[in-house]
Amino acid sequence: MRKARAGGDDEAVRQNGSSSRRRTDQHPGDGEDHDSSSGGVQDDDDDNDLGLRREIRSKYRDLINSVQQNREDMLSPSNNKLTEVLEEANKLFKDVRQAREAALDAQLLVVATDLGKEKASQLFSEGSAFDPTAFAEHLLSFMGLNRLEDEDDEPPNGCAGDGYLPKDAWHRLARRAECCFRTAPSFHYMMGSFYTEPPPPKQRIERQRKAPSKEAKRIMPTQLKKMEESHQEATEKEVERILGYLKSYYQDDPSPISYYEFVIDPNSFSRTVENIFHTSFLIRDGLARLKLDSDKLPCIEPVEEGEVEAAGSFSRKQCIVSISPKIWRELIDVFEIKETIIQPPETQSE
Amino acid sequence: MTQRKRLSNVQSSSQSKRQSNSFMTQEEDEDATFTQPSTSQVQRGLEKLTPAQVDQKTAEVVQYILVKDQKKIPVRRADLVKHVVKDYRTVYPEIIKRAMRTFEQVFGLKLVEIDSKNHMYVLVNNLDASTARPSPVERPSNPKMGLLFVILSVIFMKGGVVRENLIWNTLKKLRVDPGQRHEEFGDVRKVITDEFVRQRYLEYVRIPHTEPVEYEFRWGQRSDMEVSRAQILEFMGQLHEQDPRSWTQQYREAHSAATASSSQASSSNHR
Repeated sequence: MRKARAGGDDEAVRQNGSSSRRRTDQHPGDGEDHDSSSGGVQDDDDDNDLGLRREIRSKYRDLINSVQQNREDMLSPSNNKLTEVLEEANKLFKDVRQAREAALDAQLLVVATDLGKEKASQLFSEGSAFDPTAFAEHLLSFMGLNRLEDEDDEPPNGCAGDGYLPKDAWHRLARRAECCFRTAPSFHYMMGSFYTEPPPPKQRIERQRKAPSKEAKRIMPTQLKKMEESHQEATEKEVERILGYLKSYYQDDPSPISYYEFVIDPNSFSRTVENIFHTSFLIRDGLARLKLDSDKLPCIEPVEEGEVEAAGSFSRKQCIVSISPKIWRELIDVFEIKETIIQPPETQSE
Repeated sequence: MTQRKRLSNVQSSSQSKRQSNSFMTQEEDEDATFTQPSTSQVQRGLEKLTPAQVDQKTAEVVQYILVKDQKKIPVRRADLVKHVVKDYRTVYPEIIKRAMRTFEQVFGLKLVEIDSKNHMYVLVNNLDASTARPSPVERPSNPKMGLLFVILSVIFMKGGVVRENLIWNTLKKLRVDPGQRHEEFGDVRKVITDEFVRQRYLEYVRIPHTEPVEYEFRWGQRSDMEVSRAQILEFMGQLHEQDPRSWTQQYREAHSAATASSSQASSSNHR
């Protein structure tokens, strides 16, 4: 029915158009009797006509807008809004006299018929209807939507929505949907694309630089440790050893021993210096005594254990012994020192 | 037309430099520069080449297509000829035939021409997905496929064409808003109207007479090849807890398409 009406309207438009043109053409010219009357009518209605036409045009534009804006609403099969729009258009059309309004009417017709076609396609499925909203709801459940129970009172919004969609929601759907697709797996090289040359050498250089420094660090502590050992323990050992020599020599011959004969090693100047160094500890600790004999030459003798503390309370004199290789050689010549009393240690500390 | 014919005749005689230059100058319509050689031309071309040469060229074509397929954008014949086949264009049909065979036998893939007018190829999995067991290789799933699935399902269930607003509204209900950046998909509008369209999964066509401009969505040529309507209907049935047969029209369409082995020409599409 609607379609037939629309078709009829179409033809009416054409007729009206041509007839309106005829009227306007004849209007300026010599009017015939019937035309002059209609022309007269037009003269009077001219102002009304303009206003009326403007009104018609505005109403048509409103109709067109309402159809375009409220698309979804009009499409809904639950109402007859589209029919109402067309009926409105028919009413308006009765007053249409000029091409301009008719053009608007035609535009409305195009929009309305488009909508009509859409509505007809809704009747497409002879089976169950398909409702995208229900589909969306089911999908959300499938994707694992956590509907929070507190929000039962609030009406659920379409977009904002209640509930919390998990992070892997779309992955879940994609996995299920995979079986619908016959996608060719994308081809990628297993080892990835080749790298250009520069990066590896840089790494190597860094590693090489790091390695020596680490080893160097490691060396340092061990060296230090060794030195500390030689300083403390070795010295003590040496001092004790020398005390041993002094005592054993004194036992054999209980007269003070010539200091020079005791410390000098005719074979090595450095060992001589060491012996002087170690002997000075003995004297410092009060375990040995240096005194000048009748020739005013220094001689050394061990202190008896009982005497140690007593000797400590007496005055202690300090002296600085110096020796140079030249003096050392002179001493060797003068005293005719052939062999050393203090044997050198068996192992060297270095 | 006659001019093109003359060129192809020249081509068959010898592969001189003069020819390749004349091809280069016609760059506006690249496809027109390549006319499918006739079988006799192919025969003659093959005679001049060793089997090793043809095999090598076939392998190059296979590799090119495999890499191009990573982005799922169809391979244009013009590109293939220009960049890979080059001087071997006289034997192009033979090379393509061999490449197709290689894809099927070695990779289990099918090289299909989805657009016979513009000559574009895609790779489709030749293995039957419905009976396939879960893949032995754990492949990370692509969430975009989920999005695509939703759109294709709606279009299919609605008869093959939908106005874009229906898609946007449905997606909004799924918390995917084309106006906002989505944390999974990014620029949603771009993915759907640009990426999916370029990949030929969707068609995004302007509807005439609409003010403001509106578009409609249809299935793309790749979807026709790759996507099983029957499987979509199965999933629909599961989701809605209905028998897929209750959607009689869609069921009929899905299973007529299946019997025609998802070739493009077959089913009664609402085009």
